[in-house]
Formats: sequence, C-alpha cells, structure tokens
Amino acid sequence: MNNQRIVELTLLLLAAFITLATVAVAAVAEGTSIEWAVIPYLALLLLLWGISHLSLRKWAPTANGLLFPIAALLQGLGVAFVLRINPDLLLRHLVWSLLATVGFIAVLAGLRDLNQLRKIQTPLGLIGVVCISIPVILKITSGEVNSSPSVQFGSVAIEPSHIGTICLVIFFGAWLASYRSRNTAEYLGEVERFDGDPSRFIPLIGAWLITSVVVIFQNNLSSAFVLVAIFLSMWWVAVGRPIDLVFFLAAVGGSILLTVGSVAEFQDRFDAWADPWSNSQFGEAITRSSFALAGGGLTGSGPGEGAAGWVAGATDQFAFVPIAEELGFMGGAAVLSSYLLLAGVGLRIATAARKEFESLLAIGIAIYFGSQAWAAIAVPLRFLPPGDLSLPFVASNGSALFACTIALALLLRISETVPVIPDRTQILSRISFKSQDTA
Amino acid sequence: MTRRLVHVGIAFLVIYGLLFFRLEMVQIVGAGNLREHPQNTREITLDFDAPRGVITTADGKTIAQTVAVSGARNRLRQYPYGSLYSHVVGFISAEHGGAGVERSHNNFLAGNELSVRIQDNRDLFVDQARTGQLKLSIRHDVQLVTRAAMAGHLGAAVVLEPTTGSVWGMWSTPNFDPNHLSSHDLQAATTDFKALDSDAVRPLTNRVEYHSSEIGSLFTIVTAAAAIESNLHDLSVSSTTSFPASQRSPAITNQDGSACGGTIKSLMVDACVTGWATIGQEIGREPMQDISNRFGLVGGDPVRTDNALRGDLKPTKLSPSAAHAAVGTAMELTPLQVAHLFATIANNGSRIQPRLVEQVRAHDGSVIHNFEPNVLNQSISKETAAKLLGLLSENVKTGTAQGLALSDVQVAGMSASRFSGSNHLWMVALAPVTRPEVVVAVLLEGDGSDDQETGEANIAAITRRITEAVLRLPNSNLRGS
Repeated sequence: MNNQRIVELTLLLLAAFITLATVAVAAVAEGTSIEWAVIPYLALLLLLWGISHLSLRKWAPTANGLLFPIAALLQGLGVAFVLRINPDLLLRHLVWSLLATVGFIAVLAGLRDLNQLRKIQTPLGLIGVVCISIPVILKITSGEVNSSPSVQFGSVAIEPSHIGTICLVIFFGAWLASYRSRNTAEYLGEVERFDGDPSRFIPLIGAWLITSVVVIFQNNLSSAFVLVAIFLSMWWVAVGRPIDLVFFLAAVGGSILLTVGSVAEFQDRFDAWADPWSNSQFGEAITRSSFALAGGGLTGSGPGEGAAGWVAGATDQFAFVPIAEELGFMGGAAVLSSYLLLAGVGLRIATAARKEFESLLAIGIAIYFGSQAWAAIAVPLRFLPPGDLSLPFVASNGSALFACTIALALLLRISETVPVIPDRTQILSRISFKSQDTA
Repeated sequence: MTRRLVHVGIAFLVIYGLLFFRLEMVQIVGAGNLREHPQNTREITLDFDAPRGVITTADGKTIAQTVAVSGARNRLRQYPYGSLYSHVVGFISAEHGGAGVERSHNNFLAGNELSVRIQDNRDLFVDQARTGQLKLSIRHDVQLVTRAAMAGHLGAAVVLEPTTGSVWGMWSTPNFDPNHLSSHDLQAATTDFKALDSDAVRPLTNRVEYHSSEIGSLFTIVTAAAAIESNLHDLSVSSTTSFPASQRSPAITNQDGSACGGTIKSLMVDACVTGWATIGQEIGREPMQDISNRFGLVGGDPVRTDNALRGDLKPTKLSPSAAHAAVGTAMELTPLQVAHLFATIANNGSRIQPRLVEQVRAHDGSVIHNFEPNVLNQSISKETAAKLLGLLSENVKTGTAQGLALSDVQVAGMSASRFSGSNHLWMVALAPVTRPEVVVAVLLEGDGSDDQETGEANIAAITRRITEAVLRLPNSNLRGS
C-alpha cells in the first residue's frame, strides 16, 4: 500500500521476535520459573500491536512508520521483564495496554484535524494545571507529601500527572503558536505595535509556577526536569530570547535551592544522590542499581540470569536497571538509542510540519519522550536525585503507558499531515505525456 | 525556527551522550570496583537458593551446611554451632546478602568459579550443579577455648599460628546466630537483621578484622625495632616526667606523672612513654616510617585475612612528629593487625599473610585449591626479631605484662591501656619464647564501670587462659581431618 506501513509491519515483527526471544531465553535460564499462563498475555499484547497497526493503515496511512515499532519494542521489553519480576502486575499492565490501545485508536479515528485541539486549548490547559497540582490539594487536605499522587479505583491506581503533562504540552503549543502569529502580525504592521509587551513573560511565569509546585509539593526533581525540558524546548523554538532563558533558569534554580533548604524529604533525596552508600531510605535502590549494572558488564548476565527483582521499583522507575543488567551495556545502549531515535524522529516531524502549532506540538511530544526517559535513566546512573518517574513505554505503570500512547498517536497524526513527497518519475512521465499530447 | 530546533536537538544529543558515557563508566570501567564493593550483596543474593558446599574447620567439624527441606525453597543453609562461628563463616540471607567466608568465598561455595564448576571432563558436557567445599584454618578446640575465656566480656580475641599465618581462633563479642538470618521465614529474618544492624554495639561487625582501635604504647615494639636497627638500643635516656611540646604537637607525659628513663629494656618494662618519645626523636621520622611500611602497618591496603572484603578498613597513618609516632599517637589497628605484627616478630621477622581458608575441595573431597602460607616480606632481621622477643619476655618477667606468666612455659607479651576518652585495653601473648607456636591478641572494650586495675587483671587472665589452653591442646587434633 505504502512504504511507511510496510516498514512499520516489518519492524513490528522484529519487535515481536525480540520480545518473545527475551521471554523464551529467560524461561530456560536456571532458577527462573515462568508459567505457561503468560502465553495468552503475550498473545494479547501482540494482538493489540496488530490492531494498532491496522488502525494506522485505516486512519493514518501515510503516518511515520518508525514511531510505533520503537514504542512497541520498548513496551515488549518491559513486559518481558515484568512477567518475571512481578507476575501479579501482568494482568493490570495488559488492561492498561488495552485501554491505551483504545485511546490510541480513538485519537487516530476521532482527531482528523489537529486544529480541533486549538479550540479546546483553555480547558486542556486547566485540566493540565489541575492534574499537576493535585499534590497541593492533597497537601492542604491531608498534610501528606506524595511524589506520585494517585487516585485509587479499586485495585487500579490512576496517576493524573502523566495525562496532565500531555494536556499542558498541547496548551503550550497552542498558546505559543497564537503568540507567534500575533507577533508576526505586529511585525508586519497589521496590528498596532506595543513595545515591551509584558505578555511575553506570561508563559515563563506560568511554567515557573508549575515547576515550583512540582518541586515543593511532589519533591520530585525528575518531573520538574521533564516539565522544564518540554517547556524550554517549545519556548526556545517559538520565541527564543536568550535573556529570558537566563531569568527563567535562575528562577527555577531558586525554587529548587529554597526547597532543598526547607523540605526534609527533598533534602533526603539530595543526600541519597550525593551519598547513596549511607542513606537507607532512597539510597538503597541506587546502590543496588549500581551493583546490578556493574554485575551486567558489557554483554550482560543474560536474560533470566540477573537479580532482576532485587532493586525496588525494578518494574517502574528503575525499569532500565534489570534490562541493562541482563542485556548488558549493549542492551542498555540499545534502549537509550531507541529513546534518542524516538525523540529524533519526533523533532524531524516537527521540522516538516506545515503549521506552527503542529510543529510545536511535535517538539513538545518528542521532548516529552526524550526527557522523561532521560530523567528516569538518570536516577540509577546518579545524574539526578531519586524521583519517581516511570520509564516511558517500558514501565509497568499504567497511567504513564496510557499517556505515552496518546502522545504517540498525536505525533503520528502530525507526521501524517506532512505531505508525501510525490514520486518524481511519475511526474516526469506525466509531463512528457502532456508534452507529447500538445505536440 | 528551524535553526533553534537544531539547538534543541543538539542539547538532547549532549545529555544523552552523558548517559551513554555514565552507563559505560558504571558497567564497564567501574564495574570491577563495584562488584567488590563491601555493600554489594547481589552475587550472594543470587546464590541463596543454589546448591552450596559445606564449610569445615581444620579439625574436621562441619560449621556450615546446606540441607534439603520441603517448601517453596528446597534448600536451607544451616550453621550447626550457631553463634560460635558467626564472625568466621558469616551468613547468607535471601534479602540481606551475606558476610564472612560465606560472602568472600561465595564463588567457590556456589560453584561459580570455573575451577569448581568443571571438576572433570564430563562436566564440560553435562550441566550439573557442582559446589566447592571449604576447609578453614580455624580449629574447633581453639575456638571453644577462646569463647570460654571471653565469656561476659565485650571485645575480640584472635589466635594466630606465627609460622604459617593460620588463624586458629577468631572471636568477637557481641555476635549473632547466623541460622536466624539464613531462615526461609523472610519476615523474621528481616526483623532480626534490622535489629542486629541498628544495634549500637554492632553485633554484625567482626571486630577482629573490621574494628580499628588506638593501640597506644603497643606501638613501642616497632619503635624498639627501629632503635635496634639504628644501633640506639644501648642509648640511655635521662629520666624525665614529660617530653616537651613542640610547635605543632602537644607534650607527652607519663600516665601517672612519674619520672622514668634508661635503655630500651627499662623503657619497655616500665612502659615509659616519655623515654620512647625521646628515642623516637633520636631515630627520626624517616626510619620510623620505613619500618612501619615493612611491618605493613601504614599506607596501602591494611592487613587482613583472605576472607576480609575490600574497603572496610581505613589505612593507618603515622603521626607527623617523630616523638608522637614513636609512642603510637593516633595509630589505630584491628586485633588481627596487632596479632599479625607480633606474629612477624615471633616468626623471625618473616611476615606471613594471615589466612583463614586453607583449601577448596571438590564434591568428592579432592583438593582443587591449596592456599599455602604466603610470605609477604622479611620485615626485620632475625637478630632484631630475637632481641625484640627478649624484650617482650622481659616484659612478662618484670614489666607490665606480668599477669601472663605461666608456670611451665616461658611467655612473652605486652599490654596497653589508659587511652584518653576510651576504656579499651590491649594484650598480646607469644609462647613459648624459645620458638613461639602461638600468638594471642585480645582487645577488651570496657564500659568504664571497671576501674583500671580490674580491667588489666581481667584482660591478663583472659589472654593467659587462652594461651595456656591452646598450648595444652594436642596438635594431633589437626591430623584427624
């Protein structure tokens, strides 16, 4: 039908092969017990991939063919490890995968024109702010600090902050796009020019406030990093005033420094980062991560041969550790490259998008994937103090998977609006045919 | 807009580059250090459920074994003698790693080591669980004697055979029952581990290998060695009550404020600190540093048995002032290091690495590895060693270690006490003087309730009891295995 879908199908088959091979090798390894009952789960996962692929063929036939297989590979790797580390999570993970696929198809089928999002930018922005600010509400009502606040529905916990981030990305994109068009109009003299327009500070102040909320009430520097990275990337591309950048970074740094000095838990996290060897609450997972990574070495201990469940949170925020332990530096580098590729393809889509809003949205989503993965992997590697951030697509955290899949669908939709380069030979033959005709 | 998009792309390439670099640093460059890190319990946790070889003493007693049990995990690690060997074998636990020989020799016990895994040609083709057995140098009879002597006292005792470096006995109080930590009841094991780990007296720490204390005047034996080598042993120091302070260091005074002096022989029997300080000043800082290096006391890796893991001990340093260095100011050593120092003197100056594991054996009992005595260097000449032994012997006859004297055997020894701000005491015994067969080092950590005399009498009684009992034990016990 077209190249993109054929590429996608081929790579999806490869991702399925890698996933199944990882499970199979781990299953024959000494000392692991993998139940036969996981087979229906794996079959369901592959089925969901197939359905997603078919819906792409139907509703977004020219969308980029690399994005979905990369995400699928990462998700498959995650499942291959979850079913060994904590089989109890498997059912919940697959229910979330199902929900995510439904959301994926709904976005592809229901959102044919991305300008529809611009119409609801204000409600989306409000939803985003509310979702991110839930810790503040919890703090005021119950006085507890929770780095990843969730709403409990039976046994399923929904963390609204993930989907809130996506909403904010859309809002930022829409706001910055209209800001730019107004600026352009001013520049061209179509509207009255107003020097020293204070509205240029509004997005900076807004982003600073949201980041400060995350730092002060969630004590989560990783989430703050993701928000700052997304915002700064979009803002830099859309506006890009170096002096404002300096102000913004100074303000965020100030919030962090103030919080380190006054909130005990944040201080604890920093201590665990500076010296994990003598900090038991947050430090143990970090030291164990280092030991597990060192145990893996260059080629890894082999699937099933590592101490996978030894690091607390090995299915969620430390999901990178068992992968890099059992598949080694080469496997870890492959995972890192996957995220780099995901973000790179996203940025490539941004340069090719026809509308500024779509371009900015693509940047936001690409950086969302890239920075969240970076921040999650940076914690076991001791670049950032411990923060509870799920590894995109890999982590068993359902809310994160859902949010990432929705973002992926949006990115695919943007890539589809990029005009397909017409086949030159066809045009040439048509021209020559016409010339013959006229002659 | 596109140009600034490139900025974003480059920024992300850079921060991902950092991740790649750091991952490589952790997984490849720094991996060796991390694998040997004392807090690293990954390997042993992986091997908790695996088949595991037995650990026996030199006289053939099984002190750790794996038995078949029914349940989710079908193998249980047992320690038949409970706390008697807690600081020798250590423990293995499902969630809290391990310690002692269980941890340091895990690769042999669990059969991860290639030499253990491939025991005959068939093993190349058949995937069979092979484990290694360990034979330690510890003697059950000596260990019992040491425990009995140390009963009711906080501290550590170590018994060394000077000619081979074999550790015959190793005792540290308080201790623990490793059976509780290797239990399959993970919750109970965790409760026990947490209680032990947070206890202020640190029952999980093997004081013999991991607890350094100030040794004070015990160090003067090294000063004496330096004095003999510098031909100062006939120098007579005039009698003083204090050694004057210099610009950078405080004055040194005798503990009871009395005046003393004379040759090194009388300095030794009187434990004359001011005299040793004067001698140290005469010798100078360089020779003091040199002889400390030869005894393996300063710099580099501190001495330990082959079961001690890296990184727990801080390297000791000599005081910058020669006089202070000579009297052992700020010199902190472990009981094993002290025993090792005196064993070198007892062994004609030939320094031998202390060893705890003698042999690794295959499942059928055939020997895979034999750890022979490892001579590190000739620290001092035979003549110097003999003169030092004479000084130590004189110390038991007329000096500060008179409590060590035995009726039928001549004993040499030394003691140290009265540390500022601490209540611990040291005692070392070497016997018999003519050709020492055993070196005993004891550290008592007083709680301050006993007065000085009672403490000194206690430690002398303990050290004498261990020395006497070990000398009376039939050596034939060793051949029985």
